[in-house]
Amino acid sequence: MIPTLIGALGVLLETTLDDGTPWILLLGPAGAVGVYWGLFQYYRNTGKSHSFERETLIESKPITGDDRKVDEVRGTQRTAIAGNNVRDYRQRVQRL
Amino acid sequence: MSDSQAPPEGVPGPGAPGAAGADPPVPRTVDTANEALRDGVNRCPRCGSTEIQLRVSSGMLVCLFCRHEWSEARIDPVVSGEVPLHDLTGTTVASGATDISPEVSGVMTLKCGGCGSEVVVNTAEAMSSRCHWCRHVLTINEQVPNGAVPDAVLPFGITRDQAVQRIRDFAGSRKLFAHRRFRSDFAPENVVGVYLPYMVVDGNASADVHGHGEIETRRYTRKRGDDEETFYDADVYQVGRHVDFTVDDLTIESSAERANQDSFVNTNNVINTILPFDTKNAVRWNANYLVGFTSERRDQDVSQIQPVLEDQLLSIARAQVEGSVARYNRGVRWEAERLAVHGTRWVSMYLPVWLYSFYQEENGKAMVHYIAVNGRTGETMGSVPVSQGRLILAALTAGTVLEGLAIWLLVVMS
Repeated sequence: MIPTLIGALGVLLETTLDDGTPWILLLGPAGAVGVYWGLFQYYRNTGKSHSFERETLIESKPITGDDRKVDEVRGTQRTAIAGNNVRDYRQRVQRL
Repeated sequence: MSDSQAPPEGVPGPGAPGAAGADPPVPRTVDTANEALRDGVNRCPRCGSTEIQLRVSSGMLVCLFCRHEWSEARIDPVVSGEVPLHDLTGTTVASGATDISPEVSGVMTLKCGGCGSEVVVNTAEAMSSRCHWCRHVLTINEQVPNGAVPDAVLPFGITRDQAVQRIRDFAGSRKLFAHRRFRSDFAPENVVGVYLPYMVVDGNASADVHGHGEIETRRYTRKRGDDEETFYDADVYQVGRHVDFTVDDLTIESSAERANQDSFVNTNNVINTILPFDTKNAVRWNANYLVGFTSERRDQDVSQIQPVLEDQLLSIARAQVEGSVARYNRGVRWEAERLAVHGTRWVSMYLPVWLYSFYQEENGKAMVHYIAVNGRTGETMGSVPVSQGRLILAALTAGTVLEGLAIWLLVVMS
């Protein structure tokens, strides 16, 4: 938690210095919410479940597939593709 | 189950090619009934006594009269044959996992093999009873279709004392912000050993996923006033992946109450978290493994668990293909997925859990908080009710300190 807070402090400080808006004042409320949520999860573990994707004996054959370039993106400020769900294994998408 | 299985009949399972539009496939059944115990009088093979129970430290049944120890055979060879999992087709259901008949009564009458009198056992509450005439212990071993007798049982391997210590350690590190009543009433000695019902599923499946991925080709900054902004160029790809895979002993709750894991209304998710179990070591059913423990009856059929299985298989497929799209350094957005289940095999099993429960009622809302210990591996997870007042005070204190630091930095920098 402490490295996260230090990281947030750095980002807020940098943003404050960049545009003059006192974003750093958000550190207090954000820290309070973070401490509450972190402690709540440590006690209640509401987000925990069995990682069956990793903890089950699975054997898969070599993965096949195709990749086709269809477009280019120029000058975007997004750091990742919109709707990136490559690690959200349990998020269901359209079922064919 | 291992890679050695009985040859399936070739009946297409749900989702199998060619299954659409056809009559629902009839599952193949494997008989797992323990015929030697059908009369309900389980005798010690050495002295004939019926005073038998599980000795947790050895995982064996022990005769309380002559101290002889033995174990039932492992279930794996019974439900398995010689076909590798990736050749599994159709739906195979072990006899203890077949559909539950609502009209079947949970109350059973056993004829005592010792004196011939009739003894009634309510399977909703107990799986054994003592003959009130000759003192023989009678146990339920017949697989009546009411979900009370599974195919297999995985005996406890963690002793009660070990479980109490693990629960004490778990709660001990969560005392400061725990609810006042939890701290005063905490008594880990009240832990209960309970066998919970699960379906253990082998599967042979294929999955396809489709979406788009992006590869960064350029990153640059532009000045806007005094600021520098970062921009990215990327190539967009249409991505498709196919994976054929097998799963071995995927474990799914077969009690509707335990399967409900809405953490706003219950804490069942902590019981789910202590999975997996070493289900390969499960043995054929013998009710004596339950003596001294409680159990919960299965109330879900294969057809009711099938959607959960398919959901988990899709999640597994998505996890499996992740490594093959590593080159998309700006991520992948999966948009569609398809699952074909070629074959499944279902075994009903009782798995051992040490359970400490704490009932909390606050503002008219009741919740049972569990601390669960895996009865085989000792993995512990739990939910400890929090003192909202203390938690908010801690959060406000931390927030105030951070805000003070922020103001100080702002003053120093200006």
